[in-house]
Amino acid sequence: MAWTDIFSALATGFSHLTWQSGFLILLGCLLLYLAISRGFEPYLLIPIGFGIILGNLPLSGLAASDEGGVLNIIYQAGILTEILPCLIFVGLGAMIDFGPMLANPKVLIFGAAGQFGIFLTLLLALALGFSRPEACSIAIIGACDGPTAIYVTSKYARELLPAVSIAAYSYMSLVPIIQPPIMRALTTKAERQVVMAHEEKKVSKRVRILFPIVGGIMCMLIAPMGAPLMGMLMLGNFLKESGVVSRLADVSSGAMVNIVTLLLGLCIGCSMLAGDFLQWQTILVFILGLIAIALDTVTGVLLGKLMRVLTKGKINPLIGAAGTSAFPMSARVVQREGQRANPRSFLLWHAIGANTGGQIGSVMAASVMLAILAGMGITPV
Amino acid sequence: MKDWVFGLTMAVAGMGVTFITLYLLTLVIKLLARFFPYKEEKKEEGK
Repeated sequence: MAWTDIFSALATGFSHLTWQSGFLILLGCLLLYLAISRGFEPYLLIPIGFGIILGNLPLSGLAASDEGGVLNIIYQAGILTEILPCLIFVGLGAMIDFGPMLANPKVLIFGAAGQFGIFLTLLLALALGFSRPEACSIAIIGACDGPTAIYVTSKYARELLPAVSIAAYSYMSLVPIIQPPIMRALTTKAERQVVMAHEEKKVSKRVRILFPIVGGIMCMLIAPMGAPLMGMLMLGNFLKESGVVSRLADVSSGAMVNIVTLLLGLCIGCSMLAGDFLQWQTILVFILGLIAIALDTVTGVLLGKLMRVLTKGKINPLIGAAGTSAFPMSARVVQREGQRANPRSFLLWHAIGANTGGQIGSVMAASVMLAILAGMGITPV
Repeated sequence: MKDWVFGLTMAVAGMGVTFITLYLLTLVIKLLARFFPYKEEKKEEGK
């Protein structure tokens, strides 16, 4: 073999590198930088960023679409079968404390208001010419819930999966930046200063144990299409609250959720391929996703204002912003904004309740969407 | 069905069912709390 052949064989990687794949590799590096230097959701952005780099390296066989490649196998088995999003929900359930919501169930209603953006964005996406399944997949970014967005999109619009999942996870991590200006714009200082009574009602062990069973069965009977997500969420919470399988609860909320997050992030990253991702459609998906989350915040705060009037000033409208599913980021934002307006205000307890309501609300909204699509004869891909 | 009819149907049904489900959940929680109220656990002496 001549030296020139050896050099050309060694240079094949470089010769196949296009500017588009180079751009995405740089984007992957940017995500790694943001995760490490700025601390933006490092557990998500590091696997996603590294996945983007691996998937876009020419001839590496590590793209999600490379048949037989190691990441293709994980992608096929974990994302397209919806196993990974469901397992994430077991971990979420084991991490979530429904206590604040069980002690003050009225705040659950904010979890519904926080889903309004999903449906308003659906109308926008349809108006922009997206097909019905695509519009539903884009709108679900407004759930502020990565696994739910992946679950719906992998069923109905797989071509949008990279854009939708990246948008969903990016906006989840950007909630502390997106929500405060909207909250301030929609409320007066007097409204933000409202101090909510902080009576930390205790909840009996039996109620904590029974809620995932009774509440879960009810939700799954109303919207069976979302049962894989709701069922796993309630299973995780039941493991925790039962108190007799601490090892399972610990593994679910620790090692398992970490492994699944790593695989999920890698799969999302390696599915972001230059040719498919760098399109106007992707930019539209990102814009619509942002609108969806902004509208969730708007409708949540507006419901908060209405509740304030109805309860004669007992509710601080800011807690409406915690009705999204970005747990616990939204609740923290509400607490911070409340304290900023009034250092004596302590909204975290109430906001956590609304935030867990948002978690349930987002799954319900997705379930209804799936049920209507199925009812119209639109079958999953 | 036209797209806007589909979108409005989805919005009305989606928000309606989500609101109703969460409202029913609040009733379920209130019922559970009524049947199983919190009782202070007795602390064992000497511990």
